[in-house]
Amino acid sequence: MAYPYTHEKEVRLLSRGWGDPASRTLEGWKALGGYEGLRKAVEMSRDEVIGVVKDAGLRGRGGAGFPAGVKWSFMPKEKKGPHYLCCNADESEPGTFKDREIMRWTPHQMIEGCLIAAYAIQAEHVYIYCRGEFFETNEIVGRAVEEAYEAGLAGKDILGSGVDIDVTVHVGAGAYICGEETGLMNSLEGRRGLPRVKPPFPAASGLFGKPTTINNVETLSAVPHIVVNGAEWYRQWGTEKSPGTKLFCVSGHVKRPGNYELPLGFPLKELIHGVCGGLREGRKLKAVVPGGSSVPFLNAAECETCSLSYEGVVEAGSMLGCASVMVMDDSTNIVKQVRRTVDFFSHESCGQCTPCREGTTWLARILKRIETGRGTEEDLETLLDLGDQMTGTTICVLSDSAAAPVRSSIEKFRDDYLALIRRGEKVGAA
Amino acid sequence: MAENSQTPESVTLTIDGRAVTVPKGTTILQAAEALGNRIPHYCYHPGLSAPAQCRLCLVEVEGAPKLQPSCITEVQDGQVVLTESEEATRQRTGVLEFYLANHPLDCPICDQSGECKLQDYVHAEGRKHGRSREPKRVFGRDDFGGDILFYGDRCVMCTRCVRFMNEMAQDPRLTVVERGNRSIIDTFFEEGVEGSPYAGNIVDICPVGALVSKDFLHKARAWDLDHKPTICPNCSQGCNIDLHVRDNRVQRLKPRANLEVNQYWMCDYGRHRYEWMNRDDRIESPVVNRSGQPVPSDWSEALEALHGRLEEGVRPVKAVASPFASNEDLAALRHLVDALGGGEIVYRLPRADREIPLPGFPRLSRRRDLAPNGRGAEILGMERVGDDEGAGGLDELAHYTGTLVVLGDELADLEADFGQQAALYIYVGSHPSPAASQADYLLPATTFAEQEGTFTNHEGRVQRFWPGLQAPGLARPAWLVLGALAARMEGGGVPTSAAEAFVQAAELAPEFQGLTYESIGTRGAIINEPVALPGA
Amino acid sequence: MSDETTERAPFRNPGWAGNTGEFELSEDEVRGRSYVGEHAPEGGHPSRVPTVPYMLPEKDPEAPLFEGPYAERFEKILSRYPNRRAALLPTLNLAQELRGRVSPETMAEVAQLLGLSDAYVRGVATFYTMYNKRPVGRYLIQVCTNVSCNLCGGDEVLAAFLEHTGTEAGEISDDGLFTVMEVECLAACGFPTAVQINSRYFENVTPDDVPAVLDRLREEAS
Repeated sequence: MAYPYTHEKEVRLLSRGWGDPASRTLEGWKALGGYEGLRKAVEMSRDEVIGVVKDAGLRGRGGAGFPAGVKWSFMPKEKKGPHYLCCNADESEPGTFKDREIMRWTPHQMIEGCLIAAYAIQAEHVYIYCRGEFFETNEIVGRAVEEAYEAGLAGKDILGSGVDIDVTVHVGAGAYICGEETGLMNSLEGRRGLPRVKPPFPAASGLFGKPTTINNVETLSAVPHIVVNGAEWYRQWGTEKSPGTKLFCVSGHVKRPGNYELPLGFPLKELIHGVCGGLREGRKLKAVVPGGSSVPFLNAAECETCSLSYEGVVEAGSMLGCASVMVMDDSTNIVKQVRRTVDFFSHESCGQCTPCREGTTWLARILKRIETGRGTEEDLETLLDLGDQMTGTTICVLSDSAAAPVRSSIEKFRDDYLALIRRGEKVGAA
Repeated sequence: MAENSQTPESVTLTIDGRAVTVPKGTTILQAAEALGNRIPHYCYHPGLSAPAQCRLCLVEVEGAPKLQPSCITEVQDGQVVLTESEEATRQRTGVLEFYLANHPLDCPICDQSGECKLQDYVHAEGRKHGRSREPKRVFGRDDFGGDILFYGDRCVMCTRCVRFMNEMAQDPRLTVVERGNRSIIDTFFEEGVEGSPYAGNIVDICPVGALVSKDFLHKARAWDLDHKPTICPNCSQGCNIDLHVRDNRVQRLKPRANLEVNQYWMCDYGRHRYEWMNRDDRIESPVVNRSGQPVPSDWSEALEALHGRLEEGVRPVKAVASPFASNEDLAALRHLVDALGGGEIVYRLPRADREIPLPGFPRLSRRRDLAPNGRGAEILGMERVGDDEGAGGLDELAHYTGTLVVLGDELADLEADFGQQAALYIYVGSHPSPAASQADYLLPATTFAEQEGTFTNHEGRVQRFWPGLQAPGLARPAWLVLGALAARMEGGGVPTSAAEAFVQAAELAPEFQGLTYESIGTRGAIINEPVALPGA
Repeated sequence: MSDETTERAPFRNPGWAGNTGEFELSEDEVRGRSYVGEHAPEGGHPSRVPTVPYMLPEKDPEAPLFEGPYAERFEKILSRYPNRRAALLPTLNLAQELRGRVSPETMAEVAQLLGLSDAYVRGVATFYTMYNKRPVGRYLIQVCTNVSCNLCGGDEVLAAFLEHTGTEAGEISDDGLFTVMEVECLAACGFPTAVQINSRYFENVTPDDVPAVLDRLREEAS
């Protein structure tokens, strides 16, 4: 089975079963060893479950890379009221398309991870916050949750353990910022999806003001594998600081775009030129955005040596984010793509913090002027300066995310900007 | 650091090199304020929750990786805070530049000009020249109903107004609609905030000219207004307010903070009843009625004549007082009546059918008693008569044949023959009225807005007010007029100040004993409440 | 009821990832229609009820909020949250499913149902892009023009949809069938250009595919 492309270098843990309609059913997932992790987990103590995830070094796959086990351990040990688990299925970082694939091909993988995590943190209710646009996918997830209830895997007394865990599939309605964990919580509470000031952190006061943990779909989907096979097994892949496998979402100017599950630390160069079949004929690599729209650009030289681990991409000058590798060849109008990225952030800014509300739009307008040949060299300094004013100054990091590609592209592709400014010509599409 | 701890409940920190000790739980912004350092801010308001979203109050805290929002960051022992560091200053300049990217520079026609926080902050720390070359966003003007206009383009999105309506008025008719750069404050389409009894406060707390009062629109420039501290006279709550005065006319009322009485707020009912203070129909000089012929007089002549008349001996006395008169005025009336042998004093007080509390701070309520000093009258042994309109109840007095003294009550519901049969009719008041036409002595008094004094509010809090307007003609405070007469009758001292008049009031009413203008101060003092002595 | 299960001749781009020739699945298998099953009018197990705004082929702007199976679904939604406010997004979804958009009247009715203020509901409804504040055509065609799709011709696909429907972005076509607009990243970046049409994703769409996609929709509508 080949979905849609596979490669021999892949290590298919989470992507196992993709492309096979059978694997989305409960029966099919069980045939792949599904729900063994949950069965094992409920026989372990909660601390043991947290321990194995901690030892495995599983880092959050939603972008920040925070160790999942450590996050779980922040939850109160003494339960004084409800605890909640939120599964962040609001996948919307441009360039990222992995969670939807997990959800539509192997929904039970995610649900099993949710149930194990909920058991570990004593959550009585799991809310799977799905992106509103994923109608088809969400219905698949909804049916899978229903199957889990029917099979006694969710609801009262799961697997005879005496533990009750409810699962609810909740859908958003179109707002990128609800992928930010506290924005998601506000949205789930029926509010505008404004990120909250932290502290308090969700483990102290999260959803409905109760202790809450929130994890990404991919993070939770890795959990059953770790619980079944152990921390050491998981650590056979990846690096010391970035253990395990990761779904790399490759898009843009490669021959074979798609999701590839590879050990963390995989060389970026080999991903592009090997796994993805290289660039289109006659084209050269110009730039790569390695972690979704929020992270700085890498230029071709930086891609040569970049290792795709959390630490490796930082070393190369960007961030792994959610491993959304957007590849741009030498036909790319970088300024246009940066402007499109900033347009996105401007459209998605929640609007509460001044630097973000005003800054994203201002950046976008300056970039549009430059793109259409009405820019000046001074504009570049203004862009950099505004970017600085937007970095580290707001409640969440959307503002920083909008500034990052602007700064990095001006630093690394200044000539592209200058060419547009000096020619003063309107440029065509990339 | 241990020696920094004063007590377990207090914390000592350093702000810009100056040490300050504050209670645990204080925010950096409040601690700085205690040092007189007002950190610029928009979204923070002491009476509301703090969303920390304007990002203007960010300060450097040593050891923290990023600038911290001072409005929500609690102080810690030994903390070192820099509000003027290069980074903090740069942050403020940056945020201000973002505001100006879209804020119209329409200060010349903006009501807020002169008291605008954007103007102030940009003047202090803004860039010399803005860098934005982009067209500005345009929202236009929206009528929010009632007294309120909304200029969306001027809005800085601090959301104070939304939070006031949610948290204080608990009438969530304002919201932010849309998001990002398109977000704007709005109501449910055309619903507006009309009829929300505390909505006027959103104009007060708007830091810029986005929310403005229709009543005040283009009426006066902020820098032309004198702010005169006083007490709202429109109900017995006793909200602390300022009269905003230009050309000796009250232009608007604004609440003045008093955490125990009205916090930062006042109701719209009170706010919009100030025009009477500007009335031009005034009794401007004493008038002596000589055998049916009213003759304008001056004070020495009128008082001399009146005194002479009183010396001749008087018939039993009855008096009408007003709950709009100060404690001092009422006490002077009581004093005079007692000096003339004693007699009944009645007052009339309009009463609403219900209270209108502010849900988020229910201690503040538009009280049923629609006058500021019914309680003072009660303390001074006066009796309430009449109906809930503040009318009626004086039928007998209208034809009283003894000595009749009226203080302040305009007697609007009474005929011109009021007091015709009185042996002596003394009217002390501000505004002419038919029912005062028979007075033998018509003596011009100042309104509360033109004099110093105190009111006793519904809970027995004695609060001071100060003159905000110049009195017309020869009008004098009633305590001075009545006090002088009483003193001459009894041989006591003539009060030379409102403070002295209050001391005399305290001699008459045990409730006021122990209170002085000094101890009442600017916050008021509750009667019969033990006063902590300094050093105790 | 569903407009998605009709069997028809193979279409060059049936709307799933791949389109590589290596991928031998039917459209139904990719979309998971048979796994999900027919839409139960009352929504099935409560856990999944907030999941689903069904895409009804016909909308009724006057439909009551809520009656019959819809009242049942509304109750099931309420049962999943500790307070009524949290049911706001799913309730708006349910209302939009019936009425096709979220009009001021709908906002006020939903506010009433959940004990919220009208203004509050407006504030929330306008925060989210998927609530149609204005009417849209029977098929809402949303074309991703974000970076990944943009690199591969998203702008051209958008232009083709506008051209072949004869509309400006956001307008309803004369036949009432189509509204075309730009959308932010649909999380199908490996399969550009991604297009969402009502509840369905169409992936790997090129400008050349556009007439065939529109023909298919017209046929479904007839």
